Amino acid sequence: MLTSKCMKGVNIGYPLKIKAVDLKESEVDFNPDFISRIIPKLDWTVLISAANSIGKNENLPENLLPEYEKNTEFLKRVHHVLLEIDVVNGELICPESGRKFPINNGIPNMILNEDEV
Amino acid sequence: MLLQTPVYNLKQFPNVYTPSEDSFLLLDTLEADMNNIIQINPDFIVEIGSGSGVIITALAAFLKNTRCFATDINPEACIATTTTSILNNTCVEACNMTFLTCFKENVFDIIVFNPPYVVTDSEEVFGNGVARAWAGGIDGCEVINQFLKSLPNLMSSKGICYLLLIKENNPQKIINILYGMKFNVNIVKQRKIPCEHLYVLKIYK
Ligand SMILES: C[S@@+](CC[C@H](N)C(=O)[O-])C[C@H]1O[C@@H](n2cnc3c(N)ncnc32)[C@H](O)[C@@H]1O
Repeated sequence: MLTSKCMKGVNIGYPLKIKAVDLKESEVDFNPDFISRIIPKLDWTVLISAANSIGKNENLPENLLPEYEKNTEFLKRVHHVLLEIDVVNGELICPESGRKFPINNGIPNMILNEDEV
Repeated sequence: MLLQTPVYNLKQFPNVYTPSEDSFLLLDTLEADMNNIIQINPDFIVEIGSGSGVIITALAAFLKNTRCFATDINPEACIATTTTSILNNTCVEACNMTFLTCFKENVFDIIVFNPPYVVTDSEEVFGNGVARAWAGGIDGCEVINQFLKSLPNLMSSKGICYLLLIKENNPQKIINILYGMKFNVNIVKQRKIPCEHLYVLKIYK
């Protein structure tokens, strides 16, 4: 969801790379309909590379499964990766400029300096 | 009451805006318009300038099947927002940024913004500290105008934006600007309180 394309000289700025120092896993109620609705709004390859970069792939396939709406076990794994894992401390890194955005207490700091916009 | 006012505690956050009449008017508006909100089946909701986080937390508590986000330029407000959401057993993802500048475009189905709207000197708008919670510069519109400029790229096609204004912001002028940008606009709530006449605009494509 986040990008650094608002920065001067950055065209796409997406996906941001994630470096996780601390992760937190929590339990969130599973709603298969909601997850099925969200999946088409995601860029699947981006989700996979994000999950890989924090070491939480949960065996998600490189390509989206056909008829995933009916595959509860698959939806549960997507649910876990999407909603139950938080990067508490770490950083997001712009793929083009290398600009780092720190994450502290789960809150990314994406405030840009005046000379960056 | 559909929307419960969340519990909050700002003792640790002296520089965060305390929920006031404007915050409660927005909560009342969202509650009154809840049928329409449910109808568009929102996936992603965001509050810009969430301060204490009471508004986005109330939405997160009521609309279970959504992802709720919050932004604020004040890092302390971001922590206050997360704290309020946890206190009420909800999940709100706060992000320290200006407006929605670092989100992908056109993803949000609901945007709520109670902007700094008080008429002040321009300098106060870009200063540091608490003044940024309310200082709106000339006509109280300097932050609002910046926001309006970016609005075409923020909402999904079914999106709705709720924006709080006061009389000094000249709501009719803002409505005309929005018409010029091909948005639909209604004044969905107004309230006169001592010293302020508050309005809420509902803006959609
Ligand atoms: C009037 S307060 C509203 C706080 C809270 N939403 C409420 O209703 O109680 C305005 C908030 O917007 C934040 N703010 C001001 N300018 C902003 C900007 N450009 N982007 C994001 N947040 C901003 C301030 O830090 C403050 O928390």
